[in-house]
Amino acid sequence: MGCADDHCITCSDAAVPMRVRRLDRASGLAECVGDDGVASEVDLTLVEGAGEGDTVLVHAGVGLAHGRPDDAVPISRRPMPRGGDLP
Amino acid sequence: MRFVDEFRDAELGRALAGEILAAVEPGRHYKLMEVCGGHTHSIYKYGVDDLLPANVELVHGPGCPVCVIPMGRVDDGIAIAHEPGVIFTCFGDMLRVPGSNGTLLDAKAQGADIRMVYSPLDALRIARANPDREVVFFAIGFETTAPSTALTLKRAKAEGLRNFSCICNHVTIVPPLRALLESPDLRLDGFIGPGHVCTVVGGRPFSFIPADYGRPLVIAGFEPLDLLQAIHMILRQLAEGRCEVENQYKRVVPWEGNLRALEVLAEVFALRPHFEWRGLGFISQSALRLSDAYADLDAERRFSVPGVRVADPKACQCGEVLKGVIKPWECKVFGTACTPEHAIGTCMVSP
Repeated sequence: MGCADDHCITCSDAAVPMRVRRLDRASGLAECVGDDGVASEVDLTLVEGAGEGDTVLVHAGVGLAHGRPDDAVPISRRPMPRGGDLP
Repeated sequence: MRFVDEFRDAELGRALAGEILAAVEPGRHYKLMEVCGGHTHSIYKYGVDDLLPANVELVHGPGCPVCVIPMGRVDDGIAIAHEPGVIFTCFGDMLRVPGSNGTLLDAKAQGADIRMVYSPLDALRIARANPDREVVFFAIGFETTAPSTALTLKRAKAEGLRNFSCICNHVTIVPPLRALLESPDLRLDGFIGPGHVCTVVGGRPFSFIPADYGRPLVIAGFEPLDLLQAIHMILRQLAEGRCEVENQYKRVVPWEGNLRALEVLAEVFALRPHFEWRGLGFISQSALRLSDAYADLDAERRFSVPGVRVADPKACQCGEVLKGVIKPWECKVFGTACTPEHAIGTCMVSP
């Protein structure tokens, strides 16, 4: 995790999805990999049941939530109305 | 990645824009507040507002943890940073926030040992590596960041680290929202709820907004489609005459929040009776201090701090920006006296 786009992702309340690569259950510390391929140490003690291969949401070095992609609210695929240029 | 890429799909974005267009009532002006600074950033990064009809206006809320820190607290931090033997640690944006007599970056230039960290756990590592120095972490942030500070303090206590302490500026999101909803000049039709705060606190703390103030709130993710979908959900509630808390960010946010995180927060922190917010004044029960069980790790008790309230600069309109009354560029000093290099107010520092 770093400061991208000229703003601090920790300060701006951003959290990033990361994949758990290795987890030490005794300490709750894990090595997680972000979308950019960069690995960092993450404290997973707050994410119940997270295991290797799972996706977790990480903020300021701590996992906050277990990702559940299948729970996403479906988006309708209805196309733009005809002549539907935005005003 | 299934959390990100599919929520950036341009075709779906256009489809959602069409749905939004179909949901608005012509002639009615909609003002929706995005509470979280992270949403504000996504809106500008992806140009989300360019996809909205002209009568749907997005207004920025008080949810930027850097913007709300008052000058007096920065001064307290700088005073500790100047103490002999102290290594002072904080997040990047905080370094540029002005106190009454300069920023932490200025203090660093004057010789204070101030280091930027990405997480409080990094500050703990610095403390372990420097047992002969006092390492202080300047904690800021809403409920998203507070668990990270809490876990760090728990580890420090468990390890018996004597040279680590924390100056706690953690704030909570509900009290400023309530203050905002009480303000007489408010004209908002609905709220985009702070998705990452909700991973911790869940949806329930926000139910007072529809119940007591008659405004819908939709908890939203941070990708462009998340925001468009949340806006559509708010507009649909308004069109159908419904008013409730809905969760667009279900793939991450459980309704009950993160119970383990809430337990840790309750153990490590206690509510302050009141706390000053930049531009908003004092708001009761809106911030956290270290609980009595963690008093030994409280930098405010370990060091003497000025603790003086410093009035916001007269020219600064951060308060009106934080309440959504004006846009940042409508501030009198925006881009002229107040620039990213020489900020007068906090809003200029952090998106």
